[in-house]
Amino acid sequence: MGPGERVVEDWSSLRTTERARMTEACTRCGACFAACPMTAHAPATAGADAAATVAGVLGILAGGAGDAAARAWVMACGRTGSCNAACPHGVNPMLLMRLAKFEGQENGTLPKRGAADAMSRVKAFARLTLTEEEQRSWL
Amino acid sequence: MAVNLFWYGCNMTRHGEIIRLSARFLEALGVPARPVGGPSACCGSPKEDTPRIAEGMANRTMARFNGSGAERVITWCPSCHGNIEDFMAPTQGARFGHAHLAEAIHEQREALRPLLTHRVPARVFIDRHAGFQERAPVNTLIAELLAMIPGVEVVEHPHRAPSYMCFALANLPGALAANQRATLDAMAETGADTLVTIFHSCHREMVGLEKTHPIRVLNWIHLLAEGAGWSYADAYKTWRNSDDPLAAIGAERVAAAGEEAVRKLVEPELTRARLV
Repeated sequence: MGPGERVVEDWSSLRTTERARMTEACTRCGACFAACPMTAHAPATAGADAAATVAGVLGILAGGAGDAAARAWVMACGRTGSCNAACPHGVNPMLLMRLAKFEGQENGTLPKRGAADAMSRVKAFARLTLTEEEQRSWL
Repeated sequence: MAVNLFWYGCNMTRHGEIIRLSARFLEALGVPARPVGGPSACCGSPKEDTPRIAEGMANRTMARFNGSGAERVITWCPSCHGNIEDFMAPTQGARFGHAHLAEAIHEQREALRPLLTHRVPARVFIDRHAGFQERAPVNTLIAELLAMIPGVEVVEHPHRAPSYMCFALANLPGALAANQRATLDAMAETGADTLVTIFHSCHREMVGLEKTHPIRVLNWIHLLAEGAGWSYADAYKTWRNSDDPLAAIGAERVAAAGEEAVRKLVEPELTRARLV
């Protein structure tokens, strides 16, 4: 990719391209799930079969509901990158989890974050910690 | 003349002094960068549960950056940094390079060294996280930078907080508390007296420990500033650890920011329960 050069047209195209690539590349070996430290904070993943959970995430990525373990794992993802280090097939499971979350939150399979006040809070803190000149110049 | 941008993100507005100190360091090191952030320069992360909206926000930010003539965007936030690489540059094209602030300062470490003349006696445990290190090696670079401060000793310990920053732990029941306990245990094990945070979301979660545990909590930029002898005030920490945050902020400041907004949006965060 050269300076200023687009690789894909938009996020939708990127998601479509990556979904196809990931689905093809992933062998459902489960190494990403086994390596993930966040499962300790997702009770629904306890005792889950690694390969089946990965298949469930791919199901969510494809627009399906997945199973309870897959949904919990996607919601608990903390982008530790442990999955990428463990993946022997170059899938980029960290991005896969994020794209599955996009899909699931769009179609209602997964709950939304509920951050309606986030930007209002950012502005309120800005008024408290930045001078008026800094607000004009930096925001 | 093209100028670098210091893209501090959105939630950093809680820590105005970190933005100021970061810009001051970049200026002093010969890589001046204009701070930019807040809602008008968003990577889309706060709205990514609705990707269409996140994409629109990110595209506006990329148009702004591409139109700025900036040669380089220096990032602070790991979410923003990751979104540039994963979504924004691939879909919009980036007419600028990017690097994390720790990388930009580390590149100029020989110019930084003579600035760090003040002794800061501290045995430092760095709040290192798993995840972002693979994009920008902040865990390593920040340790090297802090070790340049006279009096600072950075301790090593294998603990790495799960998640790329504390924000990602906050919504998982028990996860943030577990990490804070593990961090305090690691500090006790290594004899550290100072906890240094790397990211803003970690800083806002960790500063509360200073009230209930015999440790000091500061951000890596704060510690560098102390090494340079630059004064600053960590207002967020003061407010968070006050028995009456609104009184600590001050009535005049609250009124100027809008009392209703401060009571609704700021006060609940500053008075939230302490976890450990």
